[in-house]
Amino acid sequence: MFTGYNNKKRVNERYKIVGFISSGTYGRVYKAEGKNGRTGEFAIKKFKPDKEGELQYSGISQSAIREMALCTELAHPNVVHTVEIILEDKCIFIIFEYAEHDLLQIIHHHNQPQRQAIPARTIKSILHQLLLGLVYLHRNWVMHRDLKPANIMVTSRGKVKIGDLGLARLYYKPLHSLFTGDKVVVTIWYRAPELLLGSRHYTPAVDLWAVGCIFAELLSLRPIFKGEEAKMDSKKTVPFQRNQMQKIVEIMGMPSKDRWPLLAAMPEYGQLSSLAAGNARFHRPQGLENWYQMCLKNNQYPAGSSPENPGSEGFSLLQQLLEYDPQKRLTAEQALQHPYFTVHGNPSENCFEDSKIKYPVRRVSQEDNDIRTSSLPGTKRSGLPDDSLIGRPAKRLKEG
Amino acid sequence: MASSYWDSTQRKFWTFSKQQLALERKKIEESERNLVNLYPLPDRRLLSIYFYHQLAKMARPLGIRQQALATAQVYIRRFYTKVEIRRTNPTLVLATALYLACKMEECPQHIRMVLAEARHCWDASFNDISKIGECEFTLISEMNSQLIIHHPYRSLAELQTHFTLIPEENTLAWAIINDHYLTDLPLLHAPHEIAITAMFLAVVLKPTQSGLQPNAAGVANALQTLGNVRNTGGQGQQTRNQKLVDWLAESNVDIEAIVECTQELISLYEIWETYSDKACKEQIAKFVKARGLDK
Repeated sequence: MFTGYNNKKRVNERYKIVGFISSGTYGRVYKAEGKNGRTGEFAIKKFKPDKEGELQYSGISQSAIREMALCTELAHPNVVHTVEIILEDKCIFIIFEYAEHDLLQIIHHHNQPQRQAIPARTIKSILHQLLLGLVYLHRNWVMHRDLKPANIMVTSRGKVKIGDLGLARLYYKPLHSLFTGDKVVVTIWYRAPELLLGSRHYTPAVDLWAVGCIFAELLSLRPIFKGEEAKMDSKKTVPFQRNQMQKIVEIMGMPSKDRWPLLAAMPEYGQLSSLAAGNARFHRPQGLENWYQMCLKNNQYPAGSSPENPGSEGFSLLQQLLEYDPQKRLTAEQALQHPYFTVHGNPSENCFEDSKIKYPVRRVSQEDNDIRTSSLPGTKRSGLPDDSLIGRPAKRLKEG
Repeated sequence: MASSYWDSTQRKFWTFSKQQLALERKKIEESERNLVNLYPLPDRRLLSIYFYHQLAKMARPLGIRQQALATAQVYIRRFYTKVEIRRTNPTLVLATALYLACKMEECPQHIRMVLAEARHCWDASFNDISKIGECEFTLISEMNSQLIIHHPYRSLAELQTHFTLIPEENTLAWAIINDHYLTDLPLLHAPHEIAITAMFLAVVLKPTQSGLQPNAAGVANALQTLGNVRNTGGQGQQTRNQKLVDWLAESNVDIEAIVECTQELISLYEIWETYSDKACKEQIAKFVKARGLDK
């Protein structure tokens, strides 16, 4: 046949595996150090083959191809930097710069041993950096589609970096409707209402809803809309995510055609009226403003307008991110212009600046240190569960 | 897309000057001097035409769109600037490039379908998906995972609304863009330069009169019009051509680049006259058979 595939780079010649970080539907992530003159720390993502124990080349999945291509193409201080990609002996390794923290871990740290609010300055800097990264992605026609605390990395120097482009896509003129390729995307708690209502032509606005949810979670230290995922039935039809939609309505109130003119055109629009039946909270929703004030009070943010308090600007920004109508929702660029970011001086480029809180380093397990052999990718291990820490709902469905 | 093209890997790593490209090719030919001497091949453009016909044969039953075909052509061209063709089985490279391009262009095809069609349409000798899977690794590695391709079609769509091209002109411009993948132009020029060239030729060639097939003589005439632009503000007869010429002169489009693109297309249409499917097929078969690359 062909002269055969012989790669020029070998993972084990270039990196020393320090330990195992996490695994997911895509494969496994390891922490590594540079070798043979290469310095620094790295995170290496090893893709698992389509089928377990695959010993033959069977073609690379479309999502892996997308991620490889996007990682190679994109470069921005607030997007996780891809060092290189190595294809070696039927395996794909993406080597990323290492980040000591992520938002999930930071939120978790503030919940334990007792709840202690994340400083308002830290939140402002995180959100600002997150939006800078998102503006870059959207300007380059990339939708992330899976923003959630576990995917937002933070380095020990307080630089925020958007990670995991595993579901990201270029959205200019897709050959097929974006809906047909992948059935459902975005972890359910951060999923935008238009997706819950079955929209087929969704837009980068889905990422901004997720940013709103993340902002709320940084403030309250709990997911704002913590719904239970309805599983796909045996016929593989995508179910209406009733519980998730309920959680949103309980705080935000019902969406209305006045505020969201295209609401009635949503495929699952009919489901909305049935939500209200027998649920008293639908007629007396908490209201986002009440939620916000309760949250600031519970987490003991000091009263009055100051840099230590997210303030009324914070509420205004949150409200415009958690806007039902995707066309009215702020874009990433508009969000960056919001007075929240300027009212008490500019946000810091280091989100840990002036913070006395010490965050623990990333947990690394020692039981699976051989990236090339031993543990077959995809086999169940007793290492850290997916996304580590507390139980999170299933993240994503496999692409069709 | 403008902003994303300027920072793209396509511009940074896969756009060459003519000299650079010639040098790259010389390097790989030198490293396989023996093979090159033993197995002479037709002109690269003729091979490209052959490859395109092969790809199109396979794309039709699978319903693969033009843009994926174009991406596959660019992948093949990039790959063969880094790997000597006589060391490969071109049929396998073509099938794999198309398979990969379909995934990148969001119209994925199952690897088994690609294999089945390759065997059906081309009588390909490989009969195992793992061959395509392995070749995919090679292709991606040689391209350093730089798989996103910016095509001139999008620039053309923007120009089309700006200049309100009539449908025939648009069709002709589209056809000229399709043809440019048979040349080295995708490795030499930015997509918007190609799109402007295609639009310019389409307007000047007046498709309604000369039919939809561009030819060398027609394109050469168009070059003269371009000459007017270089001498700035020549007295064009038609107002429409004049508007285009004025726009070209005033914009900061590199006129030399448009001239170069036009010349490249002229020589493509000239050499096309000598194309023989059979000759390409036989000459490729020679080294593939002799070296057992189809095994």
